Amino acid sequence: MADFDPAQFTPVKRGNQYQDFAVGQVWQHHWGRTITEGDNVIFSTATCNWNPMHLNAEYARAHGHPSPVVNPMLVLCTVVGMSVEDLSEGGGPFLGVNQCTFHQPVYAGDTITARSTVEEMRTSASRPDSGIITWHTEAHNQRGELVLDYRRTNLVAMRKG
Amino acid sequence: MTLPLSRLTGADTYFEDFPAGRRLRHARGATIDEVENNYLSKAVDNTAQAHWNEHAVRGGPLGSGRVVFGLITGSMVVGLASQDTAENALAEVGLDKLRFVSPVHHGDTLYAYSEVLEARDAPDREDAGLVTFKHWGVTHEGRVVFEGERTVLLKKRSHWAER
Repeated sequence: MADFDPAQFTPVKRGNQYQDFAVGQVWQHHWGRTITEGDNVIFSTATCNWNPMHLNAEYARAHGHPSPVVNPMLVLCTVVGMSVEDLSEGGGPFLGVNQCTFHQPVYAGDTITARSTVEEMRTSASRPDSGIITWHTEAHNQRGELVLDYRRTNLVAMRKG
Repeated sequence: MTLPLSRLTGADTYFEDFPAGRRLRHARGATIDEVENNYLSKAVDNTAQAHWNEHAVRGGPLGSGRVVFGLITGSMVVGLASQDTAENALAEVGLDKLRFVSPVHHGDTLYAYSEVLEARDAPDREDAGLVTFKHWGVTHEGRVVFEGERTVLLKKRSHWAER
């Protein structure tokens, strides 16, 4: 066996760049994610969100929920997370989120999938190496019900040449 | 539950306690480190390694070291504000105008500030109202790193304080 030579291995590329997007294009994001009780407890406690609606099952039941309501910030983070490889892993800072609506509660055991539609794209004269893209992202549960949606804007790196 | 519900949460965080213009500097800050950014970014399937690969971002454009996922910063600001703004919430309704105005790195400590932008009746129920807050996330150095608006559905004291 020859000595290890990293140059003999093909680099795996992840992420897309500005030229890979077009207005109206739909990206169905990978994986899907079942959100567990553990996810909710760790996320909520680690972010100092000790709200009993998220962490006290009896309290949540007394408000008509079958079990604690998963912290909506966790659902939002997970949906953005699943969209990163398609939308923003190619480079460029996260600029903002607008019009995020939590349409209905998520409970431990629910499985979330996400898709994004390219809404707006523009280049910037001052930054020829990147463009600005806005996507409309929608997340659904295992019953096909809309759980949340939002608009997200990023600077996206331009492929050179 | 054996205890009345109202005994589990604060008595001064009902809808009636949030007139427009009220400003709060929340009591506690939190330092962002391995659990808060490195772990939680991976736990939410965020594949961008700038959040969890120290080597990949050495000398990067956003400053040295792992860059905190903006929504972890946002979630921490909401968390730090949650006892004062949502302890008597029936639901988180939505967010708007979230802006990640400056990068956050491991070791930064975040503090949260909130202002009531608007308080209004809920369209479909009498026992709760909608309050929109503007939140700011500020580092220990006084640098604003996050701004955003958040709307919650809050219990009215008139309907919930004795339950």
